[in-house]
Amino acid sequence: MPEHLTLETVDHDGTVRQAYEDLPSSTRRSLLQRGLVAGGAVAAAGVTIGGLPKLAIGAPGPAQDTKILNFALTLEYLEAEFYTQAVAGGALAGESAEFARIVGAHERAHVAFLKSALGAKAVAKPTFDFKGTTENQAKFQATAVVLEDTGVAAYNGQGANVTKKVLAAAASIVSVEARHAAWIRDIVRKSPAPAAFDAAKTDAQILAAVNATGFIKG
Amino acid sequence: MTNVINEETLPFSLDEVDKDGAIAEAMDTLERFADSRAGFLRKAALAAGGVVGGGAALGALASPAGAATKGDVAILNYALTLEYLEAAFYTEAGRMGVLSGPLAQFARIVGQHERAHVAALKKALGSAAVASPTFDFKGTTEDATAFRQTAQVLEDTGVMAYAGQAPRIASNAVLGAALAIHTVEARHASWIRHLNDAPPAPRAFDQSKSMEQVLAAVGRTGFITRAPQTSTSGGRPRFTG
Repeated sequence: MPEHLTLETVDHDGTVRQAYEDLPSSTRRSLLQRGLVAGGAVAAAGVTIGGLPKLAIGAPGPAQDTKILNFALTLEYLEAEFYTQAVAGGALAGESAEFARIVGAHERAHVAFLKSALGAKAVAKPTFDFKGTTENQAKFQATAVVLEDTGVAAYNGQGANVTKKVLAAAASIVSVEARHAAWIRDIVRKSPAPAAFDAAKTDAQILAAVNATGFIKG
Repeated sequence: MTNVINEETLPFSLDEVDKDGAIAEAMDTLERFADSRAGFLRKAALAAGGVVGGGAALGALASPAGAATKGDVAILNYALTLEYLEAAFYTEAGRMGVLSGPLAQFARIVGQHERAHVAALKKALGSAAVASPTFDFKGTTEDATAFRQTAQVLEDTGVMAYAGQAPRIASNAVLGAALAIHTVEARHASWIRHLNDAPPAPRAFDQSKSMEQVLAAVGRTGFITRAPQTSTSGGRPRFTG
C-alpha cells in the first residue's frame, strides 16, 4: 500500500481539475500544450541531451510566470498542510517527527515566499483531507516520499516555462525538495537517490497525480 | 504586474549566503587538506581560465549540442569539470577500500551517478568537451572521516553550482538536463549529510554560487593539479569512455 498511496488512488470530487478548468480556455489549452510538449522533451533530456529536438513552447513571460507560480503555490500549500497536520496529530516519533517538523517549516517558508512573489494574484489555500496519512507513521512516511519526489518532478518540469528570474528562485526551492525526498527515503531505507537523473513531470501529469489522491477538497 | 518576482518581492536575496557560516566552515575543512594557499589560488586561476576560456573557444565548433550557444557550451564544460572531479573522487575512494557499510554504499552509488553525469555531458558536448583535469585528493579518499566531510562539501557545492547556472542557460534541452542533474546532486548532499549526522536540508532555500565563486572554491582545495588541457587543433576528446 505505502508506495501506491501514490497520488493515483482516488479522485473523488475533482477539485483541482475543476479549478484548472475554470481558467480561461485559451490559457488552459496553451499551458497544457506547452506542458505536454515541454515536459516530454525535458524528461528525456537527462539521458539524451544531444539528439533532442527544440522544445515547442512559447516564450516565458509574466503571465505564464503567474500561472506556474500559482501551480507551485498549490503544491506547497499541500505539502505545508500535510506536515503541519502530521506534527499536530502527534502520531510521529523519533526522526520522522523531526523530519516533519523541519520540512514543515521549509514548506511554510516556500508558501510565504510564493505568496509574497505573487501578491494579489496568489491563489487561496485549498482545504485538505489527508485521509489518515498524517495520523499513522508508516502512512505518513510513504506519503511524504511520494509528495517530495513529486515536488521535485513538478519544479523540474516547469524550469523551461518560466522567466529566468523565476527560474533562479525555483532553483533555490527545488533542490531543497530533493533534499527532503532523499532524507525521508533514507529514513524508510529506500535509496535516497534512485537514479542518476531526476525525471521531470508536466503540469498535466502533476495535476492528475495530485487530483488522484483526493487530498485537495476544495 | 510586469515582474512577478523582483528585488522587492523576494523575501531574501539570492546572493544572501552562508548565514550560519556552514559553507565557510566546510570550505575550511577542505582547505586543511591542501598544501599552500598561494598554490591554490594560482591553480584556481588556471582552472577557471582553462574551463571558461576553453569552453568559449570550443563553442564555435560543431557539436552534438548543435544549436547550443557559446555560453551554454561554456556552462556544460564547467559542469563537466565539476562532474569529472566528483566522479574521480568517488572512483578513487571506492578503489582505496577504506569505506564500509552505508558510507561504502553511498560512494558506490553516487560514483555511478557522477560517472553517468560525465558521460551525458560529454555526449552533449561531443568534440567541444574539455578533457579531464588531473586530480590529487590529498588523502581525502583514503580516510573515512576525511572522505565524508569532503563528499558533503563537494555535493553541497555541486548543488550551488547548478543553481547558479540554471538561469544562465539558453537552450531548453540543456536546461532540462541541468535540472535533472541538479536535484540528484541535492539528493546526494542530503544523503551524505544524513550519514554525517548533519542536517540533510539545513535551510528552506538553497543558495547558488557563480562560476567564479565555485571555481575559486574548488581551486582552493588544491584537488585540481593540472587544468584541462584543451586542444587548439580541433578539440578531439582525449577520453571516450
